[in-house]
Amino acid sequence: MSTALIHVENCHKSYGTFKAVNHLSFDVPPAVCFGFLGPNGAGKTSMMKILYGKNVRDNVPPSVVNVMGYDPATQELEIKYQSGVVPQDNNLDTELSVIQNLIVYSKFYNMPRTMALKRIDELLEFVELKEKKHARIRELSGGMQRRLVIARALIHKPKLLILDEPTTGLDPQVRRLIWEKLQHLKEEGITILLTTHYMEEAFQICDQIIIMDKGEKIMEGKPQQLLDDHIERYVLEVQKKSAGEVLRRQIHNSAVRIDDSSQPPLFYCNDLDTLRHLAESLQNGEFYLRQSNLEDLFLQATGRTLNEQQ
Amino acid sequence: MNNNKPPYLARIYSVWYRHMLVYTRDLVSNGLPPFLEPLIFLAGIGLGLGKYIDEMAGMPYIQFLATGLLVTSAMYTAAFECTYSTFIRLEFDKVYDGMLAAPITATDLLVGEILWAGSKGFFFSFCVLVIIYSFGIIPISLSLLTPLIGLITGLMFAAISLFVTSYVKNINHFNFFMTGFLSPMFFFSGVVFPIQDLPGILQPVAEIFPLTHSVRLVRMVCIPYFEPSLLLDAVYCVLITLIFGYLAIYRLRRRLIQ
Repeated sequence: MSTALIHVENCHKSYGTFKAVNHLSFDVPPAVCFGFLGPNGAGKTSMMKILYGKNVRDNVPPSVVNVMGYDPATQELEIKYQSGVVPQDNNLDTELSVIQNLIVYSKFYNMPRTMALKRIDELLEFVELKEKKHARIRELSGGMQRRLVIARALIHKPKLLILDEPTTGLDPQVRRLIWEKLQHLKEEGITILLTTHYMEEAFQICDQIIIMDKGEKIMEGKPQQLLDDHIERYVLEVQKKSAGEVLRRQIHNSAVRIDDSSQPPLFYCNDLDTLRHLAESLQNGEFYLRQSNLEDLFLQATGRTLNEQQ
Repeated sequence: MNNNKPPYLARIYSVWYRHMLVYTRDLVSNGLPPFLEPLIFLAGIGLGLGKYIDEMAGMPYIQFLATGLLVTSAMYTAAFECTYSTFIRLEFDKVYDGMLAAPITATDLLVGEILWAGSKGFFFSFCVLVIIYSFGIIPISLSLLTPLIGLITGLMFAAISLFVTSYVKNINHFNFFMTGFLSPMFFFSGVVFPIQDLPGILQPVAEIFPLTHSVRLVRMVCIPYFEPSLLLDAVYCVLITLIFGYLAIYRLRRRLIQ
């Protein structure tokens, strides 16, 4: 753990009888983007909140949570002073303007006013909200509010940035803009921790990911590595069940795996030509041949049926 | 960048500053009513009721009532701040969640909340005082200290109200607190008439009401007069504030930090 910025060992969190986080351990090295993937209710947000002291982990069984050398259960201030948090809800002060929101936040960090004002100008430029400096929060779109919350989290030049579903509910343009900004921050050496249920997001910006389900870690690794290790490279999707049955009868090759948990079934194979050959019996438009992605892996790992929190 | 977390007083101040900024953002609608309300009240009494009642407890009735208003205004503003406003910040706007992502502890936040409500008590008492002076109801003297009694009253009712809020899950339940606790206190704490005029069995109840003690303290500086038992009133106010403040913070912290 000497090189890890965050070290978590055997973390548990229960709400009454519900177990939100179960036996979770991981290490986050400095200056990487580390992603938590999982369906709603997987325990991602609980784990984030434990890291900055908003939630408190279970005392039993014994566990270790170390964030930049501090234990959040007893030293939340030390951690938060060097971190920025983007919570799931925007929770901006809707009664104040953009700049006032940032000024109030700079006070929480005890920043001198001139320094704060300078930093605010930099940040508004960075998140492309310069023209909105004196706007009221209600006048901002969802994407603008999100960018402002990110700016707010960066006010004190954090070493660690924690983002809980930073792009949920945003349109593709804003989402890409935010990815670009996060990429930029990572290059500056900031460690980024984020939760998401967008597989593409994880693939695009995360160096390392953990896939969680029901409070537990299911897989961990680099996104591409996880794909290589756990799922065939290509997948053939068909639109109709009948087409699926046609294909099923043709398969004598054990290299093709049929995933029946999805309806119509999916056909996985490491060899593109095998799938292409298989698809020849179908009309164009009846099938879709593509590379498999994290979403396939995710669904395979966490199951296709909904849990009670989704 | 050093690793020194912000000192305690700076943290409390930053919470107070946030409330101050929100409050002063709308100066007209927030700053005017505290002046208007006593103005209307005293005009009403002076023009109407005052003609029927000359004197109460050895002073002109308008003086008796006006000095009571100095603390009831502080009571009401602090109580509203730490019930409805606190609840909205806690449950609907999620303002607290945003604040707790910064280097502020839940305790800092709640202490700041009480101090802010106390400051509003100070301001509201001050507003009433200005109106009272402008009517010439009491002379400018030791009565200049009344905003301090407003501060004490505000802190006390902030602590009590925050304690009530710690139990409330539905904002409508505050209605019980307002009509069941604050309204009786307004009438039976010596604001409208002296508690000596209450039936004998009710007098000890009036002694329990925190407002009774605020009213005595404010008349002490307005009249002015002094008797040793006033020290007990002051001690009572401080104790209520500390006990309820402690319990409220203990309970609300568990709601903020899960």
